[in-house]
Amino acid sequence: MKGDVRLREVEEAAFLAGTVVLAALSLAGAPRSWLLYLVYFSLYLAMANMWNLLAGYSGLVSLCQPAFIGLAGYTLAVATWVNLPFYLGIIGGGVIAVLFTLLVSVPVFRLRGMYFAIGTLVIPEALRTIFLLWKPVGGELQGRGAGYVIKGIAGVSMTELYWLALAVGVASIFLMRRLLRARFGLGLWAIRDNERTAASAGVPVFRLKLYAFIVAAFITGLAGAIFYVYQGYVEPTSAFSVRWTMIVILCTVIGGLGTEWGPLVGTVIVLFLNFLLARYGGVSLLIQGAVLVGIMLLAPRGVMGVVGQLRATRSL
Amino acid sequence: MSAAVPSDLAAPVIMGVLLGGLYALVALGLSLVFGVMKLINVAHGDFVVLGSYAAYAGMTLGLDPILSLLVGVPAFGVMGFGLHRFLMHRASGISAEAPLIVAFGISIILQNAIQIAWSPLSRGLTTSYILASLRFGRADIPLVYLLDLVAALIVMAALHGFLRRTYLGKAVTAASQDARAAQLMGINTDTIHALAFAIAAATAAIAGVFLGLTFPFTPSSGVAYLIIAFGVVIIGGLGSMLGTFLGGIILGLAQALGGHFFGAAAQMLPVYLTVLVLLALRPQGLFGR
Repeated sequence: MKGDVRLREVEEAAFLAGTVVLAALSLAGAPRSWLLYLVYFSLYLAMANMWNLLAGYSGLVSLCQPAFIGLAGYTLAVATWVNLPFYLGIIGGGVIAVLFTLLVSVPVFRLRGMYFAIGTLVIPEALRTIFLLWKPVGGELQGRGAGYVIKGIAGVSMTELYWLALAVGVASIFLMRRLLRARFGLGLWAIRDNERTAASAGVPVFRLKLYAFIVAAFITGLAGAIFYVYQGYVEPTSAFSVRWTMIVILCTVIGGLGTEWGPLVGTVIVLFLNFLLARYGGVSLLIQGAVLVGIMLLAPRGVMGVVGQLRATRSL
Repeated sequence: MSAAVPSDLAAPVIMGVLLGGLYALVALGLSLVFGVMKLINVAHGDFVVLGSYAAYAGMTLGLDPILSLLVGVPAFGVMGFGLHRFLMHRASGISAEAPLIVAFGISIILQNAIQIAWSPLSRGLTTSYILASLRFGRADIPLVYLLDLVAALIVMAALHGFLRRTYLGKAVTAASQDARAAQLMGINTDTIHALAFAIAAATAAIAGVFLGLTFPFTPSSGVAYLIIAFGVVIIGGLGSMLGTFLGGIILGLAQALGGHFFGAAAQMLPVYLTVLVLLALRPQGLFGR
């Protein structure tokens, strides 16, 4: 047990050191394209970690992650339109995502398994329709749902953006480690394995699910808002797109659903795939869909699952 | 009927009811698969859209969309059977969430394959007869809405007969009621699951053609159809044809009235909100057990 704690401290120290090296990259004059890939990596990692928390550790196969990302993007846009600084917009994005979670949690948590998945699928679709019709601020832009430019971010340097993204990515990893090793994580495991048994053993099922969802909404919202600082504009069709769901599922499943390092490994692979397939446009998503199906069928625990199996056979 | 409501509402109300049959048809496939496999096939909406595009492809060759179903229905049946045999069957042995994620992957593959083949532009199945309209009292109802209902009723009656009268149909019903007991009675539930998938895909082809005749469609229309089908299943409960039909009518009305009051761009919003409110109030369904 004591050895475990020591190992954990060493792991975390090594991890922090790696983060510092990564953070220093931008000062050491790394090319912009590298930093951009690392921005994507950090943001996807944060989103994938949060989906893993829900689907992999709590049995909540959520298909409403685009709702958090899109709402955070719009919060950021609206904040900058009323002349608030953009970092308040980013935090506001996370907060709005959490408030939204509280709103939908009542209907959604009455659903289990499949019903939960489809119930959550409706949410981003409804939000997209709403934002196509509704303009929260400003009337200057012509037409409905034309989207917003994020104002006041002209001064944000690539380094700043990169550090923001890196901070969220790293925070998501530490958060997962801490949460899963606390009573909270045990409770979630119990719920995933058997909700009724967990409830009868005194696990506060509704509360734990809600907490997991709030954490996921906040971090996913932050990551979404930072993405929109980079993108510079937000519009409903891409903000509430099922593509986000695809990204988080793919990153998590390739790496290993329900494994701690799965999202990290998966995000690296997905970005590499994106890089290889970037030239092919629509075919890229098609191939990613096929990869998702293939991995799920052939290696349901992803790369980390295969690694674990290899380790287990070697130790025999 | 049209006399009881203000004249400007007559058309959307009648259209909503007629549309309801079609929505029930979309939901039937989803409900059948859910009944036997306990899986909500998130690719079902994309099957429907694929049906629309298949008919569109047939039209470019000069085939009438409805007649093209003679080829489309068996082809979709085979596709559904194959998808289950080679993908879903394997997935259902892995974990609770694996079939859902695999179905999600299939949905993404179909969406993008359609987009690559036919571009993301909005398409429609335009034939001479869809432009015709009939007069009910003071309301003009496009003929195609009437065709929608007739087609839905025929398919529902045929499916009902199949499930009640034939040996295979009874086996499907038995497998959905209690899979283990069905196995003990000598039913090969794997084949039954694949058959349910095949029937679901075949009904999706039919629904796709008639939806394509009624509304324009894009490669990403599938999500909306999936939500409609899910909403119908929630309202109507499983295994009840009448409940499914009523569910279809409720959502058809929600959409038609939504389009009437808030414009075509917002017509799906009342449908989504109805589904969310129903989930909040009665997740076991309006007519559910």
